Amino acid sequence: MTHALDVFGWFDNEYDDDGFRTCSVTGFDVHRTVENHVKLFGVTAVVFLLIGGLFATTVATTRWELIGLLEPGDYYKHLSMHAWSMLLFWIVFMEVAILYVGGPMVLGRKLPLPSLAKVGYVVMIAGVLTIYYAIWTASGNPVADNAPLLTAYVPLEVNPLFYAGAIVYIVGIVVAALPFFLTIWYEKRENGGTLPLVTFGAFVTGIIAVEALVGGLVAFAGALAYNFGLAEWFDAGVYRQWFWIIGHGTQQINLVAMIVVWYLFTHVLAGAEVVSEKVSRTAFILYLFFINLGAAHHLMVDPGLSVGWRVWNTSYAFYGATFASLVHAFTIPAGLEAGRRKRGKGGGLFGWLTSAPWKNPMFSTSIFAIILFGFLGGITGVMMGQLQLNMSWHNTFATVGHFHSTVVLGTTVTFMGVVYFVIRTMFMREFVSSKLASFQPYLYCSAMAVTALMMMYLGILYGIPRRTAEVVRNIPRTDFSLIEAAPLFNVFGVFALLAITGGALFVLLAVGSLLFGDRIEPGGNGDLVADGGLEMATDPEDPVHAYEMRGTFVLCLFFLGVFVVAYALNWFLLTQLWSIGA
Amino acid sequence: MTSPIKPPKGNWWDQPVNRRESIWLGLGVGWALVLFGWMSAFTRIGDQNPIGETYRVTEDELREKVDAFKDAAEEREDGAYVPDGDDVFVVGQRFDWDGLPVVLETGREYDFHLSSYDVQHGFSIRPEHALSQQINLHVMPGEEWVVPMEFDEPGTYHVLCNEFCGEGHRGMHGTIIVEEGSQ
Repeated sequence: MTHALDVFGWFDNEYDDDGFRTCSVTGFDVHRTVENHVKLFGVTAVVFLLIGGLFATTVATTRWELIGLLEPGDYYKHLSMHAWSMLLFWIVFMEVAILYVGGPMVLGRKLPLPSLAKVGYVVMIAGVLTIYYAIWTASGNPVADNAPLLTAYVPLEVNPLFYAGAIVYIVGIVVAALPFFLTIWYEKRENGGTLPLVTFGAFVTGIIAVEALVGGLVAFAGALAYNFGLAEWFDAGVYRQWFWIIGHGTQQINLVAMIVVWYLFTHVLAGAEVVSEKVSRTAFILYLFFINLGAAHHLMVDPGLSVGWRVWNTSYAFYGATFASLVHAFTIPAGLEAGRRKRGKGGGLFGWLTSAPWKNPMFSTSIFAIILFGFLGGITGVMMGQLQLNMSWHNTFATVGHFHSTVVLGTTVTFMGVVYFVIRTMFMREFVSSKLASFQPYLYCSAMAVTALMMMYLGILYGIPRRTAEVVRNIPRTDFSLIEAAPLFNVFGVFALLAITGGALFVLLAVGSLLFGDRIEPGGNGDLVADGGLEMATDPEDPVHAYEMRGTFVLCLFFLGVFVVAYALNWFLLTQLWSIGA
Repeated sequence: MTSPIKPPKGNWWDQPVNRRESIWLGLGVGWALVLFGWMSAFTRIGDQNPIGETYRVTEDELREKVDAFKDAAEEREDGAYVPDGDDVFVVGQRFDWDGLPVVLETGREYDFHLSSYDVQHGFSIRPEHALSQQINLHVMPGEEWVVPMEFDEPGTYHVLCNEFCGEGHRGMHGTIIVEEGSQ
C-alpha cells in the first residue's frame, strides 16, 4: 500500500497481515515499522553527508593555499559546518538506523513505540537547524561571536544558541534510541537467552552512546551556564574534560557500530562466521568498560593533570579497549577466512580473500574500512595517545589525518556500504549503475587514504597546525612561513579533490538509485547472498573454529610489524628534540 | 551456532578457541604491556616529557608576573627580552604571545611559564632550521604551567598558535632566539 505522500514509492514494500516480510538476503523477519524508520534516518543521513561534502570542498581548497578559496572568517564557519555535518549529523543519523537494524530487525521484532522514534527524529532535526543557524550567523567578532568549530571551547565567545542546539540535538538522539533499548528489554523478558552477537554489539554501542551523550549534556549545559555567567567554575579545564566525553565518545560509538556492521556484512555477504563467541563478546565488554577513556587522549598535553592520571587513563585503562580492537582485528577476518574455507572458497593462504565478492560495494566498503581504519587510524591513534608522542601530534594537521582515517576511512566508508545495503534490500532498488557502484569505494578509499596520509606527513614533518586558514604561504605580520610544506600540500589538494569526487559519486549513486533505480521484486536480491547461503553457519556438527586461520594470522602479524615500526619511528623523531619536561 | 545474527546455542562459552587466535591474544596483551611500560618508564628516564607543575592564576596576577619578568629582563635593540633569571613567560592572548620575543642560551634549563590571558591557545614551537622538530602544548586561561626546557641547538624558534582562538588566530606568532651558551 502506497501512502498518498509517498510520491517516490519509498515506503511501499509488501508485508503480511502482521506487518512482516522476510528478507531474501539476510533471512530477517522485517517489520514495517523497523524498516521505514531505518529508511527515514538513513536517507536523512545522506543529506547531511551531501552538506558536509560541499563544505569539505571549500575547506580543502582553502587549506590548499595554492587555491586559498576562503577568507579566514568564512573558513572557520565552513569548517564548523563541515565538522558538525559529518561527525555529528551524517554519522549519528546512520547510527540510529544501525541500532534499529541491529536490534529489532535482527531479532525479527516490531519497533516498540515508533512514535518515540519520530519524536526523536523531529527533535534531532530541530537541534541540527539551531546549530546550523548559530554557526552560519556567527559574526566572527573575536570577543563576541566566534565560529564554534567542533569543540566550542570555553571561554571562547560562542553564540549561546549553539550550545542550546547541541543540547536539543543530544536529547533527540537519546529519545530516538529508546525504542532500541525497549526492544532489548522486551526480547530478554520474553525470550531470555543469549542475544545474537550483532545485537549484543549494538547493545554495547547503545550503552556507550548514552554515556557519551550524557557527558555531552553536562558539557554543553555547563558551557551555556558559563556563557550566562551562572557557573564561573565551569572553566576551560572542566569543559575540556566533559566535552571530550562526547567529543571522543561519539567516535567510540562509531567504532563499535562499524564493528557490528563488519560482523554483519562479512557474514551476510561473504559467509563469515563467528570463530569464538566468547572472545568476540569479551572484546565488546572491554569496550564497554574502557573505551570512553579514549577521551583522556585529548588532554595529554594539558596543564593541571597529574602524570599518574594521564598515564593511567591513556594506557592501562585505555589499553583494555586497544586490546579489544586487536581482538576484533583478528576475529573478523578470521571469521571470514574460516567461514569461506568451510564453504570451499578458500584455497591456499589467501584464497578466501581473492575469491570474495569484491565487486559488491557493501562488501568492499567493509573490508577497506577494516584495513584502512586499522593501519592508518588505529595505529596512529594509539601512538598519539602516548603521553610523550602526543607532544608532536597535538593540534597539528597530523591529528586531522588521524581522525580522517578513523572517522572517514573507517566509519563513513562502512556506512556508505550500509546505505548501499539499505537501497538494495530495503528500498528494493537496483543501482542506477552497478559498475559505478562497484568502482566508487575503490576511488573514494584510495584517494581519501592518500589525503589522510598527506595530512599526517604535513603535521609531523612540517608541524603544520590544524584549524588555521593560512600558514604555509603566509603568516600575517611575520616573514616566517611554512612554505617548505607547499609541495606536499599540492599532493594533499589533488587527492582531497579526488576523494570529494568519490564522495559526490556516492551521493549521486544513492540518490539516483532511490529516484530512478529499477524496482527489485521480492526475492530478487539473490546475487547478494553469500556463497553457500547462511544456513551452514548454524550446523553444530561443523564448528568453524576447527578451520584454518593462517591467512588471517599472517595478515595480523604484518599489521603488528607495521605497528612496531611506526611506533619506533615516532619515538625516534621525538627523542631528536631538545629536552623538555620535569 | 556460529552465526552473528542468531542466538548462539548451548554452552558457547566453553567452545574451544583456535590456537592461532589464542597466540594472537597473547601477542596483543604483550604489545599493550610494552606500550604501557615504555611510556611509563620514559617519564623517568626520558628527556622529552610534557610534565611540569601547574598553578591556578587570575588574569591580573598573571599580567603582574609577566610585567615583572619584562621589567627585570634586559631589552635588546631588536625588542627581544634577555631574561634576568631562568624563568621565561610565554602567555597567549588574541592574537600574539606576551613575553616574546625572548633571547635564550643553549645548554641552560629554563622554566617556561605557559598560560593565557583570555581563551585557550596552542603553544606550538619549532626551530626555523628543522620544521620536523616541533613540540605542541596546550595553554589555558587560569592555569600557569611551568615546563622546563633546555635547548641544545642555537637558532630562531617560532611559536605559532594551533588552537582556534578567533578570526585573527592565524597571525598569532612569536619568536624565541636561542644563542650559543657561554658554558
